[in-house]
Amino acid sequence: MLLKLAWLNIWRNKRRTIITATSVFFAVLLAIVFRSLTDGVYDNMIHNVVSYSSGYLQIHKKGYWDEQSIDNTFEEDDKLHQELLKNPEVTHIMPRLQTFALASWADKTKGVLVLGIDPIKEREVNNLHEKIVDGEYIESVNDNAVVLGEGLASQLKLKVNDTLVLLGQGYHASSAAAKFRVKGLIKLGALELNNNVVYMPIQQSQYMHGAENRLTSVSVMLDKATNLKKLKHSLQGSIASEAYEVMSWKEMMPEMDQFIEADSTGHYIIIGILYFIISFGLFGTLLMMVFERKHELGILIAIGMKKRLLAFVLLLESIMISLLGCFTGIIGGMLVVKWFTVYPIHLTGDLKEVYEDYGIESIIYFSSHEKIFITQTLIVLILSTLLAFYPGYKVMKLKPVEAINS
Amino acid sequence: MAKTIIDAHNVSKTFNPKTIPVHAVQDVHVHIEEGEFVALVGPSGSGKSTLLNMMGGLDEPTEGTVFIDGVEITKLSENKLIDFRLHNIGFVFQSFNLIPVLTAKENVGFVLQLQNMPKTEREKRVLALLEEVGLKDKINSRPGELSGGQQQRVAVARALASKPKIILADEPTANLDSKSAANLLDIMAKLNKEEKITFLFSTHDQRVIRKARRVITLVDGKIESDVEQTPS
Repeated sequence: MLLKLAWLNIWRNKRRTIITATSVFFAVLLAIVFRSLTDGVYDNMIHNVVSYSSGYLQIHKKGYWDEQSIDNTFEEDDKLHQELLKNPEVTHIMPRLQTFALASWADKTKGVLVLGIDPIKEREVNNLHEKIVDGEYIESVNDNAVVLGEGLASQLKLKVNDTLVLLGQGYHASSAAAKFRVKGLIKLGALELNNNVVYMPIQQSQYMHGAENRLTSVSVMLDKATNLKKLKHSLQGSIASEAYEVMSWKEMMPEMDQFIEADSTGHYIIIGILYFIISFGLFGTLLMMVFERKHELGILIAIGMKKRLLAFVLLLESIMISLLGCFTGIIGGMLVVKWFTVYPIHLTGDLKEVYEDYGIESIIYFSSHEKIFITQTLIVLILSTLLAFYPGYKVMKLKPVEAINS
Repeated sequence: MAKTIIDAHNVSKTFNPKTIPVHAVQDVHVHIEEGEFVALVGPSGSGKSTLLNMMGGLDEPTEGTVFIDGVEITKLSENKLIDFRLHNIGFVFQSFNLIPVLTAKENVGFVLQLQNMPKTEREKRVLALLEEVGLKDKINSRPGELSGGQQQRVAVARALASKPKIILADEPTANLDSKSAANLLDIMAKLNKEEKITFLFSTHDQRVIRKARRVITLVDGKIESDVEQTPS
């Protein structure tokens, strides 16, 4: 009966209810589209960056991250690969041997990051071959050739088919030296990588460093960025924790995580202001509903309705108006997000170039993660409950005679 | 000997005691027995409604005590008083005061629902009450679809719903035409006679006064006369 009474009460002034619910609708719709857009941009940015660099998760020999030396490598282990791949969230694993060396060509020498990779697996994940701007991509793990960052090649004044000499420290203090044909130049969005990276087939790298079958890391790619925490926790339990360490991209690239956090805070403030403005409308409606029905509320108290029940009816009315706007807003938001999921925004012109220069796909995807919709519903629910407190307090303070005579 | 149902001792009510005091009711003693049909009369501002509100536990006296069926309601906490009203007192107000969004049936059933009466039993009682006040064919009408007289009859049915010991009516016929007022009074007189429900009206409507068996006259917040009469 109380639910029915609350529902009928909100329609006593249809126009006011519709206006209030519509304001909630637009707030929810805007908040959903905004969050979906920003989360989509972040997810895309994270995916792009981690696929070229760390992966969502990395498995190292325990202690490697604190002392990144070739002596802290581990032996490639099929059992580990199987253990990782049996998790449904894992889409790809990429074994890597990452070292530092001096690169030399003619009279130029520069310290470089040498990434021993499985070229086939890498191209599946990050389309590395599509970033080649000159020459060709390395074809197999045995290819005796390297691909250089375009910036690095320019600093060393190297061209495709020139020979690059690498000199570094091998496994167990052996010396690592070899020369390689430059097969291709690659343009990477991350400036630091572009100016420093040398990609080579992993077996060549292992051979050069005297570290056969050894890896510094296995990078793990996931189906959804949101599975990161869950998978990390699960892997920490399933693989030998005394031998390996499992690190997320957030731990390995804290600056990117902090950037996203800081940027998100700004967005939360904007959405907060939006809801704050809407709250005034809803609050005004609730107060009007109490004041214009004061006489009736007095009668209800007189005939035996407890004040807390009356306050509860007001709370229900507040929640009903809010949820009316919220649910229609969510349906509208879902339609908009669905549209942009099917037809993402393809950037054009200067903006497209800026994105591509940073190595990020120039397409704006929208996130349709359920968390976005659930969060908005919860916000509106909490807001409508909090806003009903004051009218509820006014009801608790009502004197029946004064109310009846008002 | 009939049982005392309302017992008001030395009841006074002063509004604005700290600024400009208005003594609405002054040292009133009223003793009403079960099954009485009493009219509380007097000019406007004489304190009828204030006294009625205090007897119904809607307002607190500045001084004095009110007993209803042996319970000192002036000592009850707010929640207990609301509960007491729900089970013991029926109210009929001047301007009908039904819940506009509910039908006649729902308005009458609302009080029973507050008492947690099971649905089947509740519906049976609501239909019986609406039949008793002659509105069996209007059970699904909302107040806006009923005439003033019909609304007031629904209000009477609502007041009777919880089988109260007393019904307090504040100017119940003030907004009714003669025919509706007569009809309402007949219903109330019948209920008083057949179900022994005590009725206390504040009124200055001669039609109501003529129906009453006892007339208490208030002037300037004091009882001027308290007489029994034969209703016409």
